[in-house]
Amino acid sequence: MPDTLAASLPRNAAVRRRVLLLGLLALVALALVIFGPLVLSRFSINVLTRSMIYAILAITVDLLWGFTGILTFGQAAFFGVGAYATAMLLTHIGSSPSLMALALLLAILVPIVLGVIVGWLSFYYGSTPIYATVISLVFPIVVTQLIYSGGTLTGSSSGMVGYFGLPFGLEGFFRLSGISLVIVALGALIFVRSDSGRILTAIRDNETRCAYLGLNTQRIKILLTAVLAGVAGLAGFLYANASGVVAPENTSFVFGTELVVWTALGGRGTILGPVLGTIGIDYLSASLSGELPFLWQLVVGALFVVMIIFLPNGLAALVTRLTRRGRGEVVAGAGPELVPQPPRSHAAPSDAPLLSIDKLEKSYGSQKVLTDITLDVAPGELVSLVGPNGAGKTTMMRCLTDGKESSGGVVRIAGKSIAGMVPNQIVALGVGRKFQVASVFESLTVAECLRMSRAALEAPSIVTASDRLSLPPAAIEILQLTGLDKLLTAEVSLLSHGQKQSLELAMVVALEPRMILLDEPTAGLTKAERTTIGTILKKLTNELGFAAILVEHDLDFVRDISSRIVVLHQGRLVLDGSVEEVVNSDIVKTIYSGGDHV
Amino acid sequence: MTLLLDIVTTAAILFIVSAGLLAIFGVLEIVNFAHGAWLTVGAYCAVVTGGLGLNPWLALPLAFVAGAVLGGVTERLIVRPLYARPLDAILATWGLGIVIGQLITLWFGRDVQFTENLLSGTIHVLGISYSLYRIFALAAALVIGLGFAFLLEGTRLGLSARAIIMNEPLARALGLDTTRIRLFTFMIGTGLTALAGVLLTPLTSVDPTMGVSWLIGSFMLVMVAGSSFGALAIACLVFGGAQVLVSTFISPILGGITVAVLSALVLRISSKGFARA
Repeated sequence: MPDTLAASLPRNAAVRRRVLLLGLLALVALALVIFGPLVLSRFSINVLTRSMIYAILAITVDLLWGFTGILTFGQAAFFGVGAYATAMLLTHIGSSPSLMALALLLAILVPIVLGVIVGWLSFYYGSTPIYATVISLVFPIVVTQLIYSGGTLTGSSSGMVGYFGLPFGLEGFFRLSGISLVIVALGALIFVRSDSGRILTAIRDNETRCAYLGLNTQRIKILLTAVLAGVAGLAGFLYANASGVVAPENTSFVFGTELVVWTALGGRGTILGPVLGTIGIDYLSASLSGELPFLWQLVVGALFVVMIIFLPNGLAALVTRLTRRGRGEVVAGAGPELVPQPPRSHAAPSDAPLLSIDKLEKSYGSQKVLTDITLDVAPGELVSLVGPNGAGKTTMMRCLTDGKESSGGVVRIAGKSIAGMVPNQIVALGVGRKFQVASVFESLTVAECLRMSRAALEAPSIVTASDRLSLPPAAIEILQLTGLDKLLTAEVSLLSHGQKQSLELAMVVALEPRMILLDEPTAGLTKAERTTIGTILKKLTNELGFAAILVEHDLDFVRDISSRIVVLHQGRLVLDGSVEEVVNSDIVKTIYSGGDHV
Repeated sequence: MTLLLDIVTTAAILFIVSAGLLAIFGVLEIVNFAHGAWLTVGAYCAVVTGGLGLNPWLALPLAFVAGAVLGGVTERLIVRPLYARPLDAILATWGLGIVIGQLITLWFGRDVQFTENLLSGTIHVLGISYSLYRIFALAAALVIGLGFAFLLEGTRLGLSARAIIMNEPLARALGLDTTRIRLFTFMIGTGLTALAGVLLTPLTSVDPTMGVSWLIGSFMLVMVAGSSFGALAIACLVFGGAQVLVSTFISPILGGITVAVLSALVLRISSKGFARA
């Protein structure tokens, strides 16, 4: 019920309600941690202090794994480094207030630096998700072994104990950890709902699309790793002070896997789920481990396996499923306001042609897929690329949008060679690509998808979700023609095939490219949808001066809208001319066996 | 000379321990993170055999059967629903590893167990006396390696498995029962791992968590090797050799992380690792 109510309210009222709810939640949580020690036993205070610090770590795991899709076992190591930095400084140098401040600084900065290194190792163009997981395993192992081999400097296998931490006492540390947890959780909750926070989910859904919207996903992931390493280091600082002892186990990958288990059981991608999961399980573990030490771990392990298989989104998903039944319908209306954006001026137009391909080649081993392709495209042209299956059309599209694809020749965009460039750099030169299968973000809304197109041009807020959506007029027109402007708050996974194709086109146009590459934009669309797309493409090229390259099988469609047709056959460019010249040529009739097909 | 033998036999042991994981990863593209648990299960098969007063060599077939049966159940219940979610499969098998570890603890206690040596004493090789068992491990690695080569190249199952590696949809379209082949592959992999657990008993202490320390090393080797046993052998020789050298000349603690660090670096430079070899 409350949800349908919220949807019918004007948007800013819903926002106000959410702020109110978050504020209330934070106040209740703060009251709990401040007054908790008055009623809790010594044992509970002790254990819960630790649990709340672990919960901070679980939030970092959730942001990386639940939201961004990076399965990591390495957060334990950043935590351990923070804890050891604190303990080593306090043990070997001393503990004055200024040294304590230095310890705090180091406990955050050292993990951040390590986070940049780990991020750089894990994320590069073409790296696989499993490779990042591998690095996240190796890193804690290396840290643990270095601690073991550190002698008296690190206390080796017995850890470090007997240094003087913050003078807070049992209850003081409980409150400090609790307040830190509330702040981190609140920050995370605000961030993930912000326009920037949605980028994480976009990366999880479809990293390739992010790159082709001009986002440098590698840099975003490295940045995220580094920041969350700093947060984990802060948790380590708290732990070293509150517990008065640090041990090599704190940095181990086994502890890292425990964090993932807690996050999974609480519910990945929900922030609050992992927090409650961690506190609940760690507290229960401590209470029960006296009586049933192995049985308890057995139960947790078995529960974890069952959850991963049957309920991959954890207990929190079960709760939301029960409370938000019926949310799956397409909810229309009440989205952000569409604002036309003044056109972006591209870098001064040079004399060089917009696209110039010179002797492009692509081969897989000895198999040549493209040979000696030479072609120029000027603004305002709508060039259709036709040819039978296997002629190399899609390969050619790839070579135009990824500078590492071609095996020979030069592709220049506005005079600039793209050799060695990765997709997001080529997007920055003004090239937009629409894929054959609609490539959008399934778990975002229509408006959020469109906002991703603008994210590389104007940095989105990390705090708020804007209630305005500035788009170039051409993109707004596509939305209006296809009716998507009324579905701005609908989740993309609920759209039809045709709507997704139109959405992707609008996203590409929202990039304000100078040239659009489209791979079979009409495949699987109805006649009416085709006509709409055709109209849009003509307008983009004729009136707005875009250049477009279109791969298409439907020759009627091609004949209607193209200004020029290029024929590819067996990896070679066999014909390049006006619609009339190509359609009536003998070569085309021969290639499309049957002759009278055209 | 001893150094050379150390390198070769260390590589052999790494190979024995990783072979089962590779069989599963190579064909199913699933990382069996319960790998360590199967090593432990195998080692406890040796403990049971010893406890019953049987010939210690009987532990080998017993472990293979126990490992394969457990593997069959696991494939059916846990791994099969997760083929499309490889990262979740890592987690689920890790959870299974916890469960198996705790079951063993409940049954046998958490203390270190002792097993009867399969082979003791030393042997004179190339003018020095060397542990007989480590030489035997070398032979065992060769048998396992050649056995797999035969299985993959010379049998119908091997042919089908290779078809799945190359193009699973096509293999299914051609009428191969890929579900069954996956099941058998998983069972062979886990059976072999349990067998490796028995072979480890003379070299390491037997306790419920013994598998974990071997898991990461073999996991990294398999990542580097991809789906090729030849590449695994090379990786074991190169990284095992590096491990022995670092342990001998620098520090045994750093030697313990050599394999993992080198593997990570190799993968960073070339994402295919040694698979092209």
